Amino acid sequence: MEKSINPQPLYSVSDFIAVMNQTLEFAYPSVEIEGEIASFKVNQEKFVFFDIKDSAGSIGCFMTIWQLRVPIEDGMRVVVSAVPKLTQWGKFSLTIKSIRPSGEGALKKSFELLKIKLEKEGLFAPERKRQIPTLPQHIAVISSTGAAGYADFIKILNDRWGGLKVDVANVQIQGQGSPDQIIRAINFFNQQEKLPELIIIIRGGGSADDLSTFNDELLVRAIAGSRIPTLVGVGHETDQSLADMVADVRASTPSNAAVIIVPDKNEIIRNSKMYIDSLVPRIAQAIDQQKTEIKSQLTIILQKIENTVDEHLISIINLKNILMQLNPNTVLDRGYAIVRGLIKKGLTIEIETNKAILEAEVKNVTSK
Amino acid sequence: MSQANKSIQEKTEQLTKLVAWFDGDDFSIEEALSKYKIAEKLAEEIESDLLTLKNEINIVKNKFDSEK
Repeated sequence: MEKSINPQPLYSVSDFIAVMNQTLEFAYPSVEIEGEIASFKVNQEKFVFFDIKDSAGSIGCFMTIWQLRVPIEDGMRVVVSAVPKLTQWGKFSLTIKSIRPSGEGALKKSFELLKIKLEKEGLFAPERKRQIPTLPQHIAVISSTGAAGYADFIKILNDRWGGLKVDVANVQIQGQGSPDQIIRAINFFNQQEKLPELIIIIRGGGSADDLSTFNDELLVRAIAGSRIPTLVGVGHETDQSLADMVADVRASTPSNAAVIIVPDKNEIIRNSKMYIDSLVPRIAQAIDQQKTEIKSQLTIILQKIENTVDEHLISIINLKNILMQLNPNTVLDRGYAIVRGLIKKGLTIEIETNKAILEAEVKNVTSK
Repeated sequence: MSQANKSIQEKTEQLTKLVAWFDGDDFSIEEALSKYKIAEKLAEEIESDLLTLKNEINIVKNKFDSEK
């Protein structure tokens, strides 16, 4: 600055610009402005220029491509967070710190544009999806511990299962800076010496603007890049976010996330009891079957014994008949007689019939 | 805690195998009663383990609101 006799200070052009910038920085360290995008362009794939305008005014804006977290195009309504600045050419502009779509139409448009971009890169491809552990023992949860969605998740988790080690990263889940917090939490868990088996990102329902956190490009890429499998449960059944789409598993709600992760202990207890109850009839049936088999074998054995006894009885009867035929009395009954003594003329012999024993004298013997 | 969880899983698998034995070709009445008693004890242990175990929830101390 040159000294002058004039009480008014005399500035060089660059000094004046510097003073103006200091004044602006003091008065407006950061401003949020809502308007419509116009003349959007990216130079050298690094520098982003556009105008933000409404019906009565327009301001030039500048930012780097790395700060652009959501796709932007002309006509889209946005809210920018920016530092007002006078350039070295004396042109007033806004240096953008962050930009987000505003209003349902712009949010939807931005969502669709980023979806197409990431889809082309294969981030949502089914073959990228990893299986989550069936029964994890150590999980990481990223959410706001004060949120209703988090409370629902923990309640259902505790109701369903026990013995889990749950590490919780308490982060902002909506508004400016929330995607970065979630990204830091993802990185934190991915850098642990003992990795959790699963990262669960949850938040309950909210407006499209609230849920837009989960359509942030860097967040979506961080989820895709996590070496720990991910499960995302954001909003209600009908809400869909890019974070949901890129996650290994999508849960429709935070409660549903808990249902996916762990089985229901009450159901396991019920099933165990049911198994045991089903064994009693099974044993009874086996005993009945065995009894029937033994009964049938006993019947066969008894039949065999009876048959053998019958056979023996018949043999005995036959033998008895033969014996009866051989009995001398039977022969005598048929009219024969037994003669005892020497058959010689003049000698006395004994003759036995069935009814008497006679003494007789041999009168004559004639050879046959 | 995690070990206990593993044990529940092992017990559940053991119970499933025991129940399957009752429907399998190896089933015999001679062994059925002792196997039934083991299965019954396992079911009781599973129930008791499940009702006793609590989740260990730990809020990490790190702040995520700024780069560090």
